[in-house]
Amino acid sequence: MTVNGQSEARFSPEYHNNMPQPPAPPTASKQPQPPAKGVDSQSVSRRLQSELMSLMMCGDPGISAFPEGDNIFCWKGTITGSKDTVYEGMIYKLSLSFPTDYPFKPPKVKFETIIFHPNVDTFGNICLDILQDKWSSAYDVRTILLSIQSLLGEPNNDSPLNNQAAALWINQEEYRKVVEKQYKVVGGGN
Amino acid sequence: MAGRASSHDQRLLPTMDRDAINEITHNWSGFCIVTEKLLQDKNDPFKESEFVAFVSALSKHGLSSLVQDYFLQALEETFRTNSVAKFWRHFDAYSDFVVRETNVATDDWVREALHESLEEISSEKLFQEKCLSFLLRALQAPQGSKGRQAKASDSKSTTVDLLSRYHLMVASILLTMLPRYFPEILRLYFKERLEELSLVMSEQNEDGDKLLFPDKNRTESNYKHFYSAIDEMDHESHHETVLFESKLVGKAWISKVGKVVQDLRSLGFISMTEDAYSCAIFLLLKRKVEILAGDDYRTPVLDSIKEWIQAVPLQFLSALLSYLGDSIGHEKGSSGYISPLASCPPLDFGQESPSEGLIRWKLRLEYFAYETLQDLRIDKLFEIIVDYPDSCPAIEDLKHCLENTGQHSKLVDSFISALRYRLLTAGASTNDILHQYVSTIKALRTIDPTGVFLEAVGEPIRDYLRGRKDTIKCLVTMLTDGSGGNSSGPGSTGDSLLEELIRDAGEQETSIYDDEFDSEDKQAWSTAQSWEPDPIDADPLKGSRNRRKIDILGMIVNIIGSKDQLVNEYRVMLAEKLLNKSDYEIDSEIRTLELLKIHFGESSMQRCEIMLNDLIDSKRTNANIKASLTQLSQKGIDQGDNELLLDHLDATIISSNFWPPFQAESVNIPAAMDKLLDDYAKRFHEIKTPRKLLWKKNLGTVKLELQFEDRSLQFNVAPVHAAIIMHFQEQTRWTSKNLAVAVGVPVDTLNRRISFWISKGVIVESVGSECDDHVFTLLEDVSDANRNIINSGSCEGLLAADEEGERSMASVEDQLQKEMTIYEKFIIGMLTNFGTMPLDRIHNTLKMFCGTDLHYDKSLQQLQSFLSGLISEEKLEFRDGQYMLRR
Repeated sequence: MTVNGQSEARFSPEYHNNMPQPPAPPTASKQPQPPAKGVDSQSVSRRLQSELMSLMMCGDPGISAFPEGDNIFCWKGTITGSKDTVYEGMIYKLSLSFPTDYPFKPPKVKFETIIFHPNVDTFGNICLDILQDKWSSAYDVRTILLSIQSLLGEPNNDSPLNNQAAALWINQEEYRKVVEKQYKVVGGGN
Repeated sequence: MAGRASSHDQRLLPTMDRDAINEITHNWSGFCIVTEKLLQDKNDPFKESEFVAFVSALSKHGLSSLVQDYFLQALEETFRTNSVAKFWRHFDAYSDFVVRETNVATDDWVREALHESLEEISSEKLFQEKCLSFLLRALQAPQGSKGRQAKASDSKSTTVDLLSRYHLMVASILLTMLPRYFPEILRLYFKERLEELSLVMSEQNEDGDKLLFPDKNRTESNYKHFYSAIDEMDHESHHETVLFESKLVGKAWISKVGKVVQDLRSLGFISMTEDAYSCAIFLLLKRKVEILAGDDYRTPVLDSIKEWIQAVPLQFLSALLSYLGDSIGHEKGSSGYISPLASCPPLDFGQESPSEGLIRWKLRLEYFAYETLQDLRIDKLFEIIVDYPDSCPAIEDLKHCLENTGQHSKLVDSFISALRYRLLTAGASTNDILHQYVSTIKALRTIDPTGVFLEAVGEPIRDYLRGRKDTIKCLVTMLTDGSGGNSSGPGSTGDSLLEELIRDAGEQETSIYDDEFDSEDKQAWSTAQSWEPDPIDADPLKGSRNRRKIDILGMIVNIIGSKDQLVNEYRVMLAEKLLNKSDYEIDSEIRTLELLKIHFGESSMQRCEIMLNDLIDSKRTNANIKASLTQLSQKGIDQGDNELLLDHLDATIISSNFWPPFQAESVNIPAAMDKLLDDYAKRFHEIKTPRKLLWKKNLGTVKLELQFEDRSLQFNVAPVHAAIIMHFQEQTRWTSKNLAVAVGVPVDTLNRRISFWISKGVIVESVGSECDDHVFTLLEDVSDANRNIINSGSCEGLLAADEEGERSMASVEDQLQKEMTIYEKFIIGMLTNFGTMPLDRIHNTLKMFCGTDLHYDKSLQQLQSFLSGLISEEKLEFRDGQYMLRR
C-alpha cells in the first residue's frame, strides 16, 4: 500500500507581498491626501493589477471590468442592471480611466452605452459623489462598479443631469418603456 | 530545269556557228537517249564509250553543268517513280497496326518488311550511284587528258558536289513522302532487336559466371569480323537461327542490324534512326528498372541495373557503333569521299576510339537509370520508410541516384504530399505517426546528412502532431519503452527512442544544461525556418560539418515545443510505474532517468530523481521498521492465525510535494489492516520524528488469495477491490447501497469497481428489490461459477479497461485543467467586457495581466485545449475564430 510520508514542509508558501497597503480611509477631512511625491507608475499599475485580481476572484454578479489592450490604466467595465429595478437585464458598458496618481485621485468613469438615467447625461458622464468630492483611496474598481450599479436603481433625483429622467422616475412603468426604447435604439449591450 | 537550260542555250547561240550548234544538238539528243536507257532498262548493255563521247562533246562546249543537272533530274524522276513509292508501300499495312495499337502480329512482319524494303531501295540507290559514277568518269575523261594537274582538284570538287546533291535529293524525296508511322516502325524494330539481345544475355547469365566480362571479348571479336563482314554483307543470310547459334550474339545478327542502320543513314534518316534506337533503348531500360526495382525494398538494385546496362544496351551500342564506324571507315578507304550527310557525331569516333562515343552513351544511360529509379523510389518513399530498417538498401539506392541527379526537391515535394495524404489523417494513430516520423528522420539522415531536406519534410509532421492530444504521452512511452522489461534485448524495441537516447549519451561528452539546450534548439529552429536551398553543387560533406548534427531527440522535443511538458508527462508516468512496484526494483528507471538527465539537463529531472530516491529510502525505512516491529512482537504476544503479519506490508514512502498530484479517493479498508497501518505509521514516527506517515489508502496493490470450498484463486488488485471482496467474507450477499456504505465509496464507483470481481466469476450481480439497487452474491461453487465464467476470456480486456480508468496519478490533462481554473475567471472577465476575442488575444492578455501574480506560463495549445473544455461545459462559444460568452 502506498503511503504518503508527510515530511516537514519543504516549501513554505510564498506570500505575494506586492499589494500596497491601502491607506486608511480618510477620517474626517473631506480632502484626500495630496498625491505622494514619487508615486511611480509601477506601484500604480501594481495596485491596479491586484484590484483586477480581487475583482476577478470575488466574482460579484452583474459587474465586471478588464484592462483594455495593453494599457492597465484604461479599463472597460460592464454593469448589468440588478433585479427588480427598471434596468433589470440591461447590460451597460463603461470606460474607466485611471490617473497616474491613482488611488489618490478618482478614476474617470463614463457610460459608453447611452443610458436614460437622472444622474447620467447624454454623453455618459456620471454624477456620483464618490467619483468626485467623496473619493477615497480606499475605494477600488469593485466598489466603484457596485456603487454605480446601485445608483441605477436608486437615483439621486435632487441633482439631476437628465431632468426628463428625473421627472419621469415617479412613473416606473413609463420610465421602463423609455429605458427599453433607448436601450434598443442604441443597440445596447453587445 | 528545262527553262533554265533553254535560256542557257540562247545566250550561247549567237557566238556559235551552225556546225557547232548541230554538233551540240546531236550530242544532246544522243546523251538523253543513252541516259534514259541507262536508268530505265537495267538489262540493256550500257554503251559506255558512246556515253563518254556524248558527255565529253557537250562539256567541250561548256555544257557540263547542264549535263549534270539533266542527269540528276533524270535520276530523281526514276528514283521517285520506281523506288520510293514501292518502298513506302511495304509499310502500308503497318498503318493499320498503328491505328489498332496491336503489335502482336507485327513482330516478324516489321523486321521482314524493313529488311526487304531497305534491301530493295538500297540496291536501287547503289545502282543509281553506279550510274552517277559513269557520268563522273565521262566528265573527267576529257579533263584528265587536257590539264590533269590543274583540273585534279576541280574534278574532285565536282565529284563531291554531285554526290552530295544526289544524296540530298534522295533524302529530301524520302522525307517529303514520309508516312507518319515510319518512326514508330523504326522504334518497334529496334525494340524487338534489343529484346532479342536482352533475352540472349539473360540466357547467358543463367549459364554462369564465365561471362563476367563478356563485353570486351565480344566487341573485340565482333570488331575483327567486321572487316570481312562488310564485303559479304549482301550475301549474308537472314536466317534467324544464325542468331542463336552461338552463345554470343552472332556477328550475323549485329551486321544485319548494323546494315539496317547504315541503309537508313545512307537514305538520310540519320537523326530519325538514332532517335528510334535511343528511344527503344531508353524504353527498355525504363522497363528493366521497373522490373528490377519493383516493390521490393530489401535488396539493392542499382548495381544490377548498371550491370544490365553494361550487358545489354551498351553491348548493342558498342557493336552497332563499331560496325558503323568500321563501315564508314571502309567506305572512306575505298571511294575516298566524305559524305557531308554521314558526318554525324557518333561516326566521328569511327575507327580510332570507339569507346568515347560509348562512354558518352554509358553516361546518358546511367543518368537515365538513376532518374528512373529515383522517380520510382520517390513515388514509393512512404512505403519504403514504413518498413524502414528493412528497406535500407532501397534508401541507399535512392541516395546514390539523388547524388547523381540532384533532384532532392522532387523528393521533398512528393514526400510531403504523400505524408499529407496518407499519414497526417485522423485515421492514423499517434504512435504510427511518431514511428513514421522517427523512421523518416533516420532514413533522410542517410540520404541527406545535412538535414536540410529533413527539416522541410519534418515540418508538416510536427505541425500535425502538435494538434494531437496524446502526442506527449506516446512520445514518453516511446522514450521509456524497453526500460520496463528486456531493455537489453536487441531488436525487441526497434522503434524505441530509448536506444537513440543511449546512443546519444555515448556521443555527448558534456551534458547540455537547460538554457544551452533551449537556445540551441531555438537557433536550429530559426535557421530551419529561414532556410534557403543550397545550390545542389555545394558539397554536402562540407556543409554537414558546419551544420548541427541531426538530433532525433531534439527534433522530437521540437514537436512538443518545450521539454518541460515532456518532462512533466514523464514524471506522471514514472510515478504511476513506481507506485505499482512492490519490490523497490528501480534499476531500469534509474538508467532511463540518467539518460534523460544527460539530454534534458539535471535540473529539469530533479523531481523525478527525488521520486526515485524516495523509492530507495522507502526500501531502507521499510526494512528498518519491519525489523524493529517483529522484534517487538516476538517478545510479547504470539500472533493469532487471523492476524495480519507485518511481513506482508511494504510501504512506499514518498515526499508528496515532489510527486505529481494523486487521484484522491477515500476507501474504508478492513479494520485489521487499518490497525497494521497505524502500527506502522507509529513506528515510523518513532524512528523519524517529527515526521509522520499519512497513508494514501486507495493507492498501491494488494496481493490476496481467495479460498473457496473447492478452489483458491490469487489476485493482484487495487485496495478498493480488496476492500470490496473482504466484505464478502462475513456476508455473501450485499446490496450495492449497503456495500458502498461499508466500503466507503459512492455507489457508482462501487458498481464500476465490482465489475472486476464479476468478470473474474467470483461475484454475480442480480437486480435487487429496488430498481436502482443491485444485489451482489458471492459464488462459492465452481459449478455456479461456470455459468458465469464463460466470458472470462475477455476479462483481461475488461480489467485493462478498468485499470485505465483508475490510474493512481492525476493525468497531465487533469492537472492542467486544475491549474487553468484560476484563469477561467479572468477569461470570463475579459470576454464579459470585450465581447469576442480570438485565441491569441486571450493568450496575450492573460500573459500581460496574470503574468506576475498568477504565473501564467501555459502555451497557446494548452490554453486552446482549456478553452475547448469550457466550450464543452457550455460556458463559452466559439465562432469564426472568436471566443465569446454563452448567454
